[in-house]
Amino acid sequence: MTAKGSIEAERRSFDRWALAPSLIVLILIGGLPALYLLATSLTPFQLVNPGSATDFSAPLRNYHLLSGDPRFINSLSVQAKLSFWGVLFQVLLGMLLALLLNFRSRFVELARTFFLIPMVLPPIVVAVIWKLIYTPDISPLYYAASLLNMTMPSLTSSVDFALIAIIIADTWEWLPFTFLMVLASLQTIPEEYSEAALVDGASRIQIFFYVTLPFIAPILVISAMFRLIDSVKAFPLIFLLTGGGPGSVTEVTNYYAYLLAFDFNEIGYSSAVTIVMLLLVVAVSFGVMWMGRRREAMA
Amino acid sequence: MSSHVGRSPGWGRHVAVAAVLFLLLSPFLWLLQMSFKSNDLILQFPPPLIFKPTLEHYRSLWNSAFSASFVNSLLSASFSTGLALLLGVPAAYALSKWTGRGKYALSFAILVTRMAPPIAFTIPFFLFYRWIGLLDTVTGLVLVYTSFNLPLVIWMMQPFFETVPPSLEEAALVDGARTRTVFLQIVVPMVAPGIAATAILCFLYAWNDFFFALILTRTYARTAPVAVVNFMNYEGWEWGKIAAGGSLVMAPVLIFSFAVRRYLVSGLTAGAVKG
Repeated sequence: MTAKGSIEAERRSFDRWALAPSLIVLILIGGLPALYLLATSLTPFQLVNPGSATDFSAPLRNYHLLSGDPRFINSLSVQAKLSFWGVLFQVLLGMLLALLLNFRSRFVELARTFFLIPMVLPPIVVAVIWKLIYTPDISPLYYAASLLNMTMPSLTSSVDFALIAIIIADTWEWLPFTFLMVLASLQTIPEEYSEAALVDGASRIQIFFYVTLPFIAPILVISAMFRLIDSVKAFPLIFLLTGGGPGSVTEVTNYYAYLLAFDFNEIGYSSAVTIVMLLLVVAVSFGVMWMGRRREAMA
Repeated sequence: MSSHVGRSPGWGRHVAVAAVLFLLLSPFLWLLQMSFKSNDLILQFPPPLIFKPTLEHYRSLWNSAFSASFVNSLLSASFSTGLALLLGVPAAYALSKWTGRGKYALSFAILVTRMAPPIAFTIPFFLFYRWIGLLDTVTGLVLVYTSFNLPLVIWMMQPFFETVPPSLEEAALVDGARTRTVFLQIVVPMVAPGIAATAILCFLYAWNDFFFALILTRTYARTAPVAVVNFMNYEGWEWGKIAAGGSLVMAPVLIFSFAVRRYLVSGLTAGAVKG
């Protein structure tokens, strides 16, 4: 055996020992729970009825129920509305903010760091912040409205405005993310591009649409997809601001699954709802991954 | 738009940036100033611009059950960070040298654990903990947090290992050193800043968690984010206390994020985009 061969053999043995613990733990705390969730979704399991946990007599019952459950269908449409408007505003405003801050100055370097604050705050603190803003007695917003002789409805308990209130808070929280992504992309645009366009007599607006926008388009799509996936997780905001209400106006699928499992004790049915949600998330993740690889291949 | 056109930005643009910054941060500042106001002042409108700050809310929090929940948050976030680093750092090193086909499959698996809605993990963990008696324990929280911190470590550490020149490792190996020794004594010290940044991100993720703690704890292991919400539900509407609690929960986050701001993007996108 050559010296090189023995080094490689030793290396392989090291790799096995380095990887094995992580893989085992990942399977135990990631893989097994996923299988457990899938198994539970095939049972009518309720916490009050322990025997039901292993009742596989009608495995697809939950999934049949789903299609005829108006509250589930409604939750999907609430989620779609929340995701669509939230992601749209985050990408648009994030892009505008990045364009505004895309210049060199010490002040701007500092400002960039402060712009990130909403994103790094614990989500529950973001929810607390907006609870303060949306509570009429103590809110500067309502005070300002009263100065202008306007009466503002209580946003979070109004059928018309509750979802908008959530979208505003969610946009505030995640705007820094799209801002950061777009800014990073803007800073990689070679200056020659826009200089050449300027020499050719292009206006600022034209430069934006023909040079800048095509360049940052892939990152806009990728950040939108990330936000789309994460918009499914907007739990603390809904939990604290509206509780899914009024009625079920702000009840997204994630929140419905939470209520089913931990309020109504319908663990089996909730698992089925969660599996459907998980499949949707996996599909979008697959898209993100595919786009990321394509982008890497192009670069 | 104009920066790469090469014109130096005027005062107008600086003022616009400052105005937008103030507008965006005002909800956050509102919470902060409220935590220093006495209960009477909180309800006073127009809000006084200059007032005598009080620490009464912070003091009463310190002497309540809130301090215990703060400790729970610290413990569960620290231990899960430690566990994730212990397991994940060697794995990331092994993977960074690995060029096999499995790499993309693994990246995808890691991305899915990052993307999965927390409830997907909560239901199985809740049932399992209920059976084994880990509900409402810090140990239980540590395990759950490791489920998302371990993939994060494996993902974040790989690019750091790729920056270590292979010639350094090879030289040591040819001299007869074992891979383990090379890893511990040459490679790890070189990626120490990366480990620090990863550790902080792990800590923040665990610290920021609300959902898992809400469901998997009741009283003994309750974490600070859950405790803040409990001020709202059970003790009436003590706005000053709520604001002070929120400020305390966000304090470590703000300090740590400032330290790792360069790595925030790669940590958040964990997978599809290299930051």
